[in-house]
Amino acid sequence: MSYQNTTQFSSRRQQNWSRNQNTVAFISSVKLGPVAHTVLVALMITVLGLIYLTQATKATSYDYQSQKIDSQIADLNTKKSDLEVENARLTALESVKNSSVASTMTTPASTNYVR
Amino acid sequence: MKSELQKGSRSRVLARLMFIIMAVFIARLFFLQIVQHDYYVGLADKEQIKRLTIPAKRGLIYALDGNTPVEMVMNETVYTVFADPSVTTNDSKIVDTIRQIAGGNARPNLDGLLRDKNSRYQVLATKITRAQADMIKAVGLKGVGFQENSQRVYPEGGLAAQVLGFLDYNGVGQYGVEGKLNDRLTGTDGMLQSVTDVSDVPLTIGNNNIKKPAINGENIVLSIDRNVQSHVEQALADGLKRTGATNASAIVMDPQTGKIMAMANLPSYKPGDINSVTDVSVFNNPIVSAPYEPGSDMKTLTMAVGIDKGVVTPTSTYNNLGYMDIDGIRVLNGVGLDHFGNITLQTAMDHSLNSGFITVAERLGDGSNITLQARNTMYDYFYNKFELGKLTGVEVTGEQPGTVIPPSDPQGNAVRYSNMAFGQGLDVTMLQVASAFSSIVDGGVYHQPTVIAGTVDGNGKYKPAAALPTHMSVSKSTADQVREMTHVTRNTLFSRSDMPGYEIGGKTGTSQTLINGNYNNNQTVGTYLGYGGNDTPRYVIMIQVSGKGMSLEGGRDAQPIFADISNWMLGYLRVQPKG
Repeated sequence: MSYQNTTQFSSRRQQNWSRNQNTVAFISSVKLGPVAHTVLVALMITVLGLIYLTQATKATSYDYQSQKIDSQIADLNTKKSDLEVENARLTALESVKNSSVASTMTTPASTNYVR
Repeated sequence: MKSELQKGSRSRVLARLMFIIMAVFIARLFFLQIVQHDYYVGLADKEQIKRLTIPAKRGLIYALDGNTPVEMVMNETVYTVFADPSVTTNDSKIVDTIRQIAGGNARPNLDGLLRDKNSRYQVLATKITRAQADMIKAVGLKGVGFQENSQRVYPEGGLAAQVLGFLDYNGVGQYGVEGKLNDRLTGTDGMLQSVTDVSDVPLTIGNNNIKKPAINGENIVLSIDRNVQSHVEQALADGLKRTGATNASAIVMDPQTGKIMAMANLPSYKPGDINSVTDVSVFNNPIVSAPYEPGSDMKTLTMAVGIDKGVVTPTSTYNNLGYMDIDGIRVLNGVGLDHFGNITLQTAMDHSLNSGFITVAERLGDGSNITLQARNTMYDYFYNKFELGKLTGVEVTGEQPGTVIPPSDPQGNAVRYSNMAFGQGLDVTMLQVASAFSSIVDGGVYHQPTVIAGTVDGNGKYKPAAALPTHMSVSKSTADQVREMTHVTRNTLFSRSDMPGYEIGGKTGTSQTLINGNYNNNQTVGTYLGYGGNDTPRYVIMIQVSGKGMSLEGGRDAQPIFADISNWMLGYLRVQPKG
């Protein structure tokens, strides 16, 4: 591969000599024509489009995950409520009165108070 | 070289044609996308954007167990099982499964329902629990679906039914607290507006998504103590058996706060089983909705008026003839009550002598007549200070104000006010009388009666309600004297009914009822109104028993129920005896 000198990219800074810095610049001998540019632009647009699509799809996939979690939360809340109802039924006065423990209890004969 | 697009060439014609076609396209697109933009956006939104309601949960209703809230009314998820007979294949398996798992909740003719292949929807079972639904789902029956519903459940069965009320088929509260506080319990539905997919799953794409969370209904804690309520209902049931009466009511209040600890009526019903109710009158709460003539319980209030105005004391005397003549009409004492001659008002109270309290009314006037001044004074105390004949504002439906006829009314004459002095000639509710008496018991402080103790927030934290406004009905000195009078009265007649060492007071009431405009001695309502505690009164109890065509008495029929509840309350509240 061969290179040739160019002055196209010489900045004012580069025009001044300074220590440990290159004082020459090179340009590639490969030149892109208008078709190649068009293809490259089209490719870039396609890639950007794909990135957009993946991101949009990703957001939607989060929606499904979110929906699934919401559904699980609702399900668990329903189960919690049902268990609370069951707990309330089991601790209701009628249940307690009719329990085996209650049936063996007796009424105290007398009551003393600690003062 | 000759140009391809020279004038008249085919290429030029084609180019023009293409230009025209493109122009048509552009014009059409302009019309559709610019001119009709809003219309088509609307159509697209209609198709893609769904509005979903986020239902608010109805608030729970709690009672107290001591100082701890316990659930009385809850929400439970239940399922309706339905089938699409045009899709179902193994009908016999469906029938067996539903019958086995749903039991009594299954429809009776499942075979017939599934045979109707023209139908797309047949309900196979209703109100099955989640566990049952899961078991049916696990079987994997083709063409069988489930619909989720929420229903009210009552863990305590029929306890305090008339205080609680119930929900109708539209989910609207009826009767009791459910009806009165329907708005607070209902909450506000939320809304989700979002682009959805074909399965109605909300997606975050789009700019018009709205999420407005639901505001759940308030969880309300009643001042009803479920243990007191349960004992009161049992005591009323025992009382009905003992007396043969058909109706009984009881209210237990905390005289220091106005909070109602128990409010019960028999007959009653189960809010979870309202379909089995044949007489809808059981939905009413007669304690607030059935004004009646309170009878001799009123004598405590008349006495309070006399003492507060400084015209009598408990030891004031009068000549008891067994009757009083008012404007040419003779008003009699009860039959056989005797105690004729010069007696004190304490004696009149002990033996419930009407003449004693007509005397108080007369002394509020010129000493021998129930003058307009006397009537105005009595009305002022009864209506404005004791709040009789007015709505109390208690948080249950159906409250009636009753009637206390003012002296300005032609019917508010001396004869009426002589009757009012001993509890006839005015219509008031039990709640009004119990609240007025509570003010006597609590040193003259009238507390607005309430069944609300507070609320429970979303985290289950109990927040007590702010105290309701109070006012003085009579002075503390007056209240204490009348309280002591009722204590003496109870000791005179019923001391053996009470546990020793406590201060229990009370007054009987036996009131005639009006039948076809005439007072009837063969149909009387028996009441007992009293309090209990040690140095500090802890409760006020009022009992009423009645029955069509029955002559029921306060002392004989209502008082034993009072004693039952009172003695139990002393133990339940751990009230230590005096001394």
